[in-house]
Amino acid sequence: MNTDRFRIISPNDLEDYREQAGNLSDVCWPEFMLHDPIANVNWHELFDRFEAYQFAMLDTETDRMAAMGNSLPFYWDESLEELPELGWDWVFLKAVECHQNDITPNIQSAIQIAIHPDYQNQGLSMMMVKAMGAIGKSQGFQHLVAPVRPNQKSKYPLISIDDYITWKTEAGLPFDAWLRVHVRAGARIIKPCHEAMTIRGSRTEWESWAGMKFPQTGEYNIPGALNPMEMNIEKDEGIYVEPNVWMVHDI
Amino acid sequence: MDGARHMSGDRFQVITSSMHREYRNLVRGLTRIVWPEFMLHDPVANENWHELLERFADFQFALYDSEMGRVAGMGNSFPLRWEEPLENLPDDGWDWAFTEAVKNHKQGVMPNIHCAIQIIIHPDYRSQGLSAPIIQAVRAVTKAQGLRTLIIPIRPSEKSHYPLTGMDDYITWKTDDELPFDAWLRAHVRLGARIIKVCHQSKTIRGTRAEWEVWTKMKFPQSGSYIIPGALNPIEMDVEKNEGVYVEPNVWIVHEMNWL
Repeated sequence: MNTDRFRIISPNDLEDYREQAGNLSDVCWPEFMLHDPIANVNWHELFDRFEAYQFAMLDTETDRMAAMGNSLPFYWDESLEELPELGWDWVFLKAVECHQNDITPNIQSAIQIAIHPDYQNQGLSMMMVKAMGAIGKSQGFQHLVAPVRPNQKSKYPLISIDDYITWKTEAGLPFDAWLRVHVRAGARIIKPCHEAMTIRGSRTEWESWAGMKFPQTGEYNIPGALNPMEMNIEKDEGIYVEPNVWMVHDI
Repeated sequence: MDGARHMSGDRFQVITSSMHREYRNLVRGLTRIVWPEFMLHDPVANENWHELLERFADFQFALYDSEMGRVAGMGNSFPLRWEEPLENLPDDGWDWAFTEAVKNHKQGVMPNIHCAIQIIIHPDYRSQGLSAPIIQAVRAVTKAQGLRTLIIPIRPSEKSHYPLTGMDDYITWKTDDELPFDAWLRAHVRLGARIIKVCHQSKTIRGTRAEWEVWTKMKFPQSGSYIIPGALNPIEMDVEKNEGVYVEPNVWIVHEMNWL
């Protein structure tokens, strides 16, 4: 594909940036993933506090957003091996807290790279990872960390994330396509973060999110989820705990 | 033959392999279109499939679309002998029934019951109200053969969305109007069928790791349970033994017909 047609843009470069970004989220993610309370309460902070870390890839032939990237800076002075189990939810809150307290950040974390389904399998993911690292580099950071969502794990919900990340292709690269993109871009796997996102909903909410029924308490496999969801009928609550994988790029 | 009469003069007609010369050509390939690939690797089915037309031609039928000159659905069944209460029907439902029917026929045992092992609608004809007509067609075969009892080790197809729920629990799930949650079970119950019980090992499908990888387009790098698209339960892969085993649970149901 002709990569010249794509251009990295900032939120200010496109009048309907937020609207196109919202549409992109809707088509890229299974519905339940849009109900992480940490994400929903804090999403605006990305644009209010960390605008320089948000970007998109514009298809200049159609003026459509082909992909978007979201990241943020935070402060971390411990070893990367100590990054918390609460991966995604934690790093979002941490970055906001650092910013509120005027703590100078020293590291960048990815929050999302989403490629529109019409533009998948065309090499955009690698370009997006590199574009994100370029932002951290321009800020003088040495590391870009990422709580990566290995999305092919959704076909293997009964395999633990610890086992899954050891799976390799014949070339010795990670089995999972997203992990592989990061590794090809120079990243290494640090470790899983087993509770990267926690999504709770009533039975009715989960039924509408998943297009399924949950007549009894127990584990359910939800399309697009990386692990089974636990439904508790008496408490009228289903809980999905998403495992991700901490990775790091030296930039 | 209420099912057949219901549709006679209509667009869809019930034909059987013994009455229609072209039956074999008309239904060719339908099974392959309808099922996930791994379902085509049950050894009991593959060893015995030819017996259906050779021994039980009157029991193989199809729903023929007379406007289009093609088949909209098909059913495969046979007679067998069963003298115990239906509650005692075996746990290896589908595989048992097929083997038993062939054995009975070889030994000249007089059958007293009708058993259907496959009732399918072509994907092009789904959601067009044909499940009732095709169930009526299999009931009509029961009557035409002078039998009163039709049993089916049924595959509740929507169970594939709930592979982590036990089949014994799944069959208790109801819609708001107290009918079975599963659409295929519901279609039978609406026409008078009753659920007998689960047959937990209705089919057993074994393959090497490489075979399962081809059948499912997935990878199985380690031993463990895997959810497979279209399977009603997870499969168990044993990498050291180089064997994956899928045990399919079905549900014994019965249509009792007091037609005399």
